[in-house]
This record gives sequence, structure tokens and C-alpha cells, in this order.
Amino acid sequence: MAGLMSGRSKKLDDSIPKMSKELCNRLLSDLERAKRPVLYATKCSLDNAIYNHKVGYLTPGDKKVATELNVSSVKKMSRAIFMLEILLRNIDTGAVNTKRELYYISKGYIKHDSKLKPLDFADQDESDEIIDFICEMLEIYREEVNCFANDRGGQTYSQQLVVTETLTDGDTAVIDLSMLGTSPFQPKNRPQNLKLSARKKIDFGLVVESEGTANTLVANGFTKRHNCILMGAQGVPSNAVRGWCKLIQDQLKIPLYFFGDLDAYTLQNIYRTLKAGSAASLIRNSDYSAPDVRFLGVLPADIKKYDLNDYPVKESDPQESRALKKAADALKNDPFFQDKRNKGLAEILNWLLKNKRRCEQQAFFTVDPKDPTMPEKIIVDKIKRGDYV
Amino acid sequence: MAKQAPKQATKQAAGISTSSTAEYFSKNLQQVGFSSQTKAVLTTLKEAVDNSLDACEEHGILPEVNVTIEKVGPGSLKNSDSIRVRVEDNGPGIDPDDVPKVFGEYLASSKFGRGKCSRGQQGIGISAATTWAQLTSATGARVITKTKNMRKALSCMVEVDIKHNKGVVKDRQMIDWDRPNGSSVEFLVDGRVQLNGDAGLLNYLAATTLVNPHLTLTYKLPEQEPVRVERVSQTIPEIPEATEPHPHTMKLGEFIAHSHLFGKVKVKSWLKEGFSRIHEGVLKDLVKNGLNANLLEKSVDGLNEVDFKAIFVAIQNEKLMAPSTKSVLSIGEESLAKSIQRLGAVDFFAVVSRKPAICDFKPVQVEVAIARLLDKAAEADEPVQVLRFANRVPLQFDKAACAIVQSIESVNWRSYGLAQSKDSVPSGPYIVAVSVVSPFIKFKNASKETIDASDELVAELRLALIQAGQKLSKHIRREDKANELEEKIRHIEQFGPMLVEGLCRILEAPESRKKKAEDGLLKLLGRDAQATEAELNKASEVLKAHQEKESEKLGEVLVGGATAARPDEIEVKKPKRSNAKKEARA
Repeated sequence: MAGLMSGRSKKLDDSIPKMSKELCNRLLSDLERAKRPVLYATKCSLDNAIYNHKVGYLTPGDKKVATELNVSSVKKMSRAIFMLEILLRNIDTGAVNTKRELYYISKGYIKHDSKLKPLDFADQDESDEIIDFICEMLEIYREEVNCFANDRGGQTYSQQLVVTETLTDGDTAVIDLSMLGTSPFQPKNRPQNLKLSARKKIDFGLVVESEGTANTLVANGFTKRHNCILMGAQGVPSNAVRGWCKLIQDQLKIPLYFFGDLDAYTLQNIYRTLKAGSAASLIRNSDYSAPDVRFLGVLPADIKKYDLNDYPVKESDPQESRALKKAADALKNDPFFQDKRNKGLAEILNWLLKNKRRCEQQAFFTVDPKDPTMPEKIIVDKIKRGDYV
Repeated sequence: MAKQAPKQATKQAAGISTSSTAEYFSKNLQQVGFSSQTKAVLTTLKEAVDNSLDACEEHGILPEVNVTIEKVGPGSLKNSDSIRVRVEDNGPGIDPDDVPKVFGEYLASSKFGRGKCSRGQQGIGISAATTWAQLTSATGARVITKTKNMRKALSCMVEVDIKHNKGVVKDRQMIDWDRPNGSSVEFLVDGRVQLNGDAGLLNYLAATTLVNPHLTLTYKLPEQEPVRVERVSQTIPEIPEATEPHPHTMKLGEFIAHSHLFGKVKVKSWLKEGFSRIHEGVLKDLVKNGLNANLLEKSVDGLNEVDFKAIFVAIQNEKLMAPSTKSVLSIGEESLAKSIQRLGAVDFFAVVSRKPAICDFKPVQVEVAIARLLDKAAEADEPVQVLRFANRVPLQFDKAACAIVQSIESVNWRSYGLAQSKDSVPSGPYIVAVSVVSPFIKFKNASKETIDASDELVAELRLALIQAGQKLSKHIRREDKANELEEKIRHIEQFGPMLVEGLCRILEAPESRKKKAEDGLLKLLGRDAQATEAELNKASEVLKAHQEKESEKLGEVLVGGATAARPDEIEVKKPKRSNAKKEARA
């Protein structure tokens, strides 16, 4: 994976300025001939997503979004060229920024040149949209134009894992996770700079939806008793978490499990994104998904088996009712859930729609309230028995 | 204790007394519009103007009303001024014998319950104003009146004998007056003058001129220049005669009371002549459906209560035609269109006069006028100004509960191009005037400030508002297209050069490429502007067709003069090449 990632990155680092210039040249040439330029970007939505279990993640179909230059789009195009110039300058100098920083950098240019005032972004959403538009147009990752999201989630604990990071100045830093106590290792969203090794054979990796629960498991000795990597996803996995899981999967080749709530939101927004990527990021799912991750639970059968505390979905709650509606849509339109290899996952969605009940990951703590290691025992038992989807 | 009880009861019984109507109202003036000092001045003015207008209309006189309001010093109430309210008219004048009844006696009215669309209905208002003057300034109403038959005018002071509900005339003298007929009434009341706002005097006067196109009004308010508003219509509205009552709008008691007006006639004649929508066919049906035929042949005064009830119930169960709508009167689209332009510089307007309809079994006519005012353009975010009218009397208080406001809020004005938050009145520099005329308006209170929002009335109001909105949208749509075109041209001028400059900077392209590309871009975007221009022309044509149609109804000058620039007057700014020199970016 690291090879793939860094290889692609290396190639693109050189070619992004070239591709950008080709694009700009095409635009300018069209304008010189009074021909209406059209920009094509990959359509990043579910109706252009293809899932093939052999590939393992959602890939883009043939659909493109065409943006034709006209009085309505001239503002968007001018803004895109303005932002592209900033991004190219970053590539040239090696500077790295978050989306929010880019928003302020663009504001800085406008502040110093009043002629650019009409290009000003009213809020960050507007500049984010333009950055995404540029990436879709050039079919590149945002990270490839040195724009990184904040490193959210992915706090990782292990007594066996050793991470070697290549720093920008060429130096390397070696991080032995066993030396960190109960503090986690925070993966960066530039996984191409990381190399993984194990001091001892690692049996499995476990991604827990709640970072708090992951930390509790560690505090109660989970990583001491098992040769594993334990990670908190902190909700919907960020690019950092997704790239990090992919790195673990590819470099260590260990079985990976996901443990989270039993509800439509977890299954569709969190688990599916981790395993197969998202529709919004079709062009970068290849590097930001870990197709080997299995769904350990909570499974519908676990409720009965462990007598877990479940409760009805509040349909009056707009978020929950939206999640249910989305689940119904997913069964109809999401190629991931429609693939017969993922029949087990689709069945869970069907169960959720039919029963309109949900169960949280923390419900494992109700099984034996006196035994703080009971969730750990159940998790390990489920892994041993192959009780996952 | 037990022994004392009968004694106490006797004492209480002995204490029960009857109060006069005047006594009741003098203690409850807040119920008839005198609930605050500012409201007291407005209500006094309103009652006097209503009486003048009603009197003129009844006698076929084009009204000329002269209003003077002045502060004469501090009032007797805390924080109040002593205010003189004088209303003069060119009406028929009042017979001297009627003067004490008109100004000093409650419920003495020529209009009570007669089913006509006059402004006044019960005969409470002006007597209440006299009472307020009497209570706060210790003087009644100063009246001067002259009918055509009088050589001299009667000048007197009328006070209310509160104990006996009688008008008392004082200081009576006959004087020379410089006019053939008319009345002048003057009250000295405690109160405060509020000129602006929904409940302001200016709003009342503007609203009154709007729904009375035939009125010439002059007024002088404190610290204001005198104003004269000329009439725009020479037609005196004819107040239709009341129709006979419809039996389905009555209760049994009213039904029996109604019979007393007829006395010794056969029941069938009483029913046919005394009620609307009862004819021979209906009587036959009543008998067919089980009513004793002999009852119809009896004399009305020979009926007992059981007989009355039997007839009443039979009629209630009978399906009758809805009441006639002949008894309502309309201001008319043409008059409204003329009148609305007296409110200020009107950008454009839409008027709708619905056909009379039946709501809650009562005839109702709804009319709507919406105008955009040029001098209010700065108030684009403010809610529109709503003018409400019931029988052509402006309603200025408690608007939230009113059927008119509720109807305005329920219409989706966004689809007609007006800004509107959910369930609110729309916003913008508009006046939305809604008039409800009916001989039986259902008010929520005695001071006639709010119309009850029944489902049927709200539905009828909504239809009128929607029609007006549709008319208005033709103007707004054309304007939107013009704005869109302007916006697009602005876009081209702003962003075109920036796009080309950005591209050239990335490519480090020579100046020659830049110029060529700029020319190409302008050609391209100019084509887009032309397309928008075509859309604008189409919208203009729609508007023009609409205006022509309206002008057939309302008159050429009105429509052309009051609307925004004609479509062919719109100047379309063509995209120009930007000559701004390239400046190096930091």
C-alpha cells in the first residue's frame, strides 16, 4: 500500500502542475477561438458508483459533470482558477495547508488586491466546494495538492506495532506504540510516509466506533492480553482513519474487525465508508478504504444471545428517521449493499428497517455489570467463533 | 350564622338594580375603543367620520369631510393632552329633534340590525365619544347642524344623561352658518395624538381615503401642514337595500320575534314575504317532509310556541338556496385603482374585486388592492403594510387574530416574487389593502377591531389575495428578469477578465493571447446576455398584454401611469470591454 500510495503521489506531484497547465491551456485556447470551454469532472455520487467485490471498494462510473462556461458559471470558473493558482504555488514550495487555512489564504490575497474582491468567498463552504471541484476536474486527491484535513480519529493502541515515519527533511522517526502507555498513537493523513512493522506477530486489528470505548478497553488491559491493534474510529472515519486502516491491511495483512452500534447510520455511514469508501470520494476510495474489514457487531443475533439492552428507533427524531430512510435507499440504490457478497450486511439493514430497533456498542457492558472485561471477552469470543459478517 | 343567612339573602335581593345602557358603556368604554389615550383620540375621530360618510351616502351627497385635531393644553388625566377633535361634513344635516338621540343616546340608531352594509351598525360609537369627552373634559359634544329646510343652523352642546341613557341638549341657539346643509361635531377629549404606525391617525386617514374614492378629505393634524385629498370618483356608492332575512341565519327566538312584525297574516304569507329564499315550492316540500299543512294556513298571531318550533325545525331541515348577495356593495376595481394612487408614489399595483360570495351563510364581498410604493423602497425588509377594512371602516388594532391577516399569512407570496418568512405576512415596500363588505360582519368584539376568522371567509379572502398576487407577479417577474440581466452583465464584466488573467498567469501567456482570449470571452458571454434579454422581452410582453387587458377595465392612464417603466423603455446595458490595466498581484 505504501508503495502504491507513495508511487501514485510521486507521479502526481510531478504531473499535477503539468495537468493543470494543460487544462488552463485548453481553456485559454477555447476562449481565443470564442469557443465555449467545457470542464468535465467525475460525477461523485451514488448513481455513478460501481462496486465490484473483487476490487473491494466503490469506484467511479463513466458519468461526468460538465461545467460549461456561461454567465452563470463564469464566477465558479474564475474562482477555481484563482484557487488552482494558490494550490500550484503550494506544490511548488512544498507548503501544506488545511481547507480552512486555504480559505484564509485566499482571503489574504483578496485583502491585498482589491481587484480580486468579487472572487471573495463568503464562507469556508464556498472555498471547500471550489477545492473539491478542482480535485474532481483533475481527478486527483485533495492531499495531492497538499491540502490535508485535520487528523481526526484513528487513535491507535498496540503493544506490538512499530511505526517508522519519514519526515519531510528525509529523517525518520520510529514510534514503538508499546512505549506510549495508555496514550494512543495518532495516525497522520499522509500514510505514504509511514512504514509498519511488528515486534511480535499481531493476531488481529479491531476498529471501535467510539473512541471512548476503545480507550476503556485499553485501560482494562485489552492490548496487554491480546496481540492486536486497537483503534478508535471516532464516528464517521476521516481520511486519516481510512488511509491508516488501508495501510495496516496492506502492510501487516492481519484480519481487521469493526465493532460499533447496531443502527443504520453506523452500518452505512461508518462501516461502509471504512470498508468500501464513500460516494463523495469515488476518485480516492482506492487509497482510502480497507475492504478486508469485517463487521463484528453489534449483530441482531447478539441482542438475543447476550440479552442486550436494545430500544426502539425514535421516528420522531429527524436524524434517526433520516437514517432509516437512507437505509431503505441504500438497499435500493447502493451497489455495495446490493452486491450478493454483502448479503449479510443487507440483511442487517433489512432487520433494522423491519424491527425499527437499535442497540449500542456499549450495551455489552450490561451483560455482566460487575465484570469490566465482559465486553472484551465477548469481542474475543466472537472473533474466535467467526461470529461476524 | 344559620339565622343570619335569610337576612343576608334579602339584603342582597334588595341590592339588585337595573343599570341603563349608558351606565354600562360609561363604565366599559374600553370595550368600544377607548382603552388607551391614543386609541381614544383615534376612536373619537373614526366614529365622527363614519357617521359623516354614512349620512352623505344615504342622501346621495358626494362627501367632503374636514378634520381638525389640535392640542389645546394639558389634560385632566395623567400624562394626557386635552385634544380638540372636530369633524365637519357637507352631509344632509340632522333634524334638531334627533340631535340628542344621535350624540347622547346609546343604541339609538337608524341602522341597527337592518342588514345594510353601512359603516355604523349599532348606534354606540358616537355616544361613547360624547361620554369620553364628558368623563375627561366635563363637556359633551359641540354640535352645529343644518338641514336644507332650516334657515339657521342649530348650535348646541349634547351630553349623555348616563343614569337614563338620554341625550341632553344644552346651550342651544340658532346661528347663521355659511353653508346650505351639513354638520360639525367637536369633542374636547383627554388623550394623546399618535400620528404614525399601524394605529396612527395618518394611517387611519390614508386608509379611509383608499376605500372612499368619492371622498374629498381635508385634514389638519397637530404640528402638520394642512392636507387636502381630492376625490377620484364622482360616483356615490349606492348602498344596496337589505334583503329579507334568511331563515337559516336565525335562532328560534329571533324567528318568533320576527313574526311579531307581521301579526294577523297567514303563516304561509309570513314565511314567503318575511324571509328570503322561501317560496311556494319550499312550502310544498315542508309539508311533504312532514310539516302539518294546517299550520301554514293559521294566522301568525294564533301560533303557540310549539307551533313556532315545529315550523322553525322543519325549515332548518329543509335545503334552501343560499342567501342573495345583492345586499353587499363593492368599491370596484376601477375606483380602487384610482384611489390607491392617492396613498403616495405608486410603482405598480394590482386590484381584485371578487364577486359577492356566501360565507357562513352570509353574503360577503372581498376586495384586495396591493401597491408597491416608491417612497417606501428603503423598507424592503420590513413587513408589508396591511390595511384592513370592514364595511369600509379601517381596522387598526389586534391584527394577529384577524381573518384578513391570517389569510395573508396563509398565502405563499414567494411564488409571486415577494419575500416571506414562513407563516408571516410578506415583506417589502408594499401596501396590502383588504376590504370585507357584508351586512353581517362577524366581529370578535364590540369595538369592531377584528374580523372573526371562519374557514369559509378565510378561503374567500385567500382567493382574492391569490388573484392579486398573480397580477402582481407579472410586474415582479419582468423586474426580476431585468435584474437578472443586469446581474449577468455585471458578472461578465467582473469575472471575465479575472478568469483570463488567472489563466494567463498560470500559463505565463503573452499579452497577445490575453487580449485575444478576452475578446473571445466577451463574444461568448454577450451571446448569453442576448438570450437573457430575449427572456426579459418575453416577460415584458406578458406584462404588456396584462396591462392592456387591465386598462380595458381600469382605463388607459391608470395602468400606464402607475406601473414601472414600460418594457420598451428598459435600457439594456451591453457588456463592455474592461479597460482595466493588468496589475501585478502580490
